[in-house]
Amino acid sequence: MKEIIAVIRMNKMNQTKQALAEAGVASFTARKVVGRGKGKVDYLLLRGAQSGCEEAISQLGPGPKLIPKRLLNIVVSDELAAPVVRTIIAVNQTGHPGDGKIFVAPILEAVRIRTGQRGDTAIDETAA
Amino acid sequence: MLMIRAIIRPEKSPEVLAALLEAGFPAVTKMDVYGRGRQRGMRVGEVTYDELPKELLMIVVHDDDKDFVVDVIAKTSRSGPEGAYGDGKIFVSPIEEVYTVRTGGRDDIPSAASAALTTES
Repeated sequence: MKEIIAVIRMNKMNQTKQALAEAGVASFTARKVVGRGKGKVDYLLLRGAQSGCEEAISQLGPGPKLIPKRLLNIVVSDELAAPVVRTIIAVNQTGHPGDGKIFVAPILEAVRIRTGQRGDTAIDETAA
Repeated sequence: MLMIRAIIRPEKSPEVLAALLEAGFPAVTKMDVYGRGRQRGMRVGEVTYDELPKELLMIVVHDDDKDFVVDVIAKTSRSGPEGAYGDGKIFVSPIEEVYTVRTGGRDDIPSAASAALTTES
């Protein structure tokens, strides 16, 4: 089993939900988070400001702002991981910075609380 | 790659974020969480608070950078030189694949292999 942790744009949520449902993965957890990426950091400017250069300090803002994003946690079987990642990329790709990141992490055990099923059967959506 | 999840005091998070930026790790995701630790929450007079507000920072780094980043977070989020109960915890877990949505390529493998993967799909 794999956990897919995706940070995506707020306004892409509905399209992503729809695309995931069409790909056969309707279940996931989503939450609102804030974050920043690697962009908008000028290390030369930062170093200049640290060494006390007036010009650099005046250009330096309060640092990159934390931007609101949606965090999706999707747990799927090993075979479904690649198609889900492809689906999320296809829907969320605008080509501009800030499109987000996708992380794939291993999951050792899953339990469906209602029935007590474990492992892959616990996350199989086709099972009754 | 490794995911570092740090549960820290909310009032310490600007300081930690600034320290991470300065250390060259600007990319971070932050969320509000509630929880308790080994002290079973906090007791103030008669009232026991067993779900204390904290902030969770999520950072994904290369394996070699783990110790450095954990060190930066631990050092800046500790309250006072001795530290205090409630300063938080840091967890590190494995990440198998990392994708950048903008390019559709993988971040955790050399760019040539990543390009091949993108054209293939």
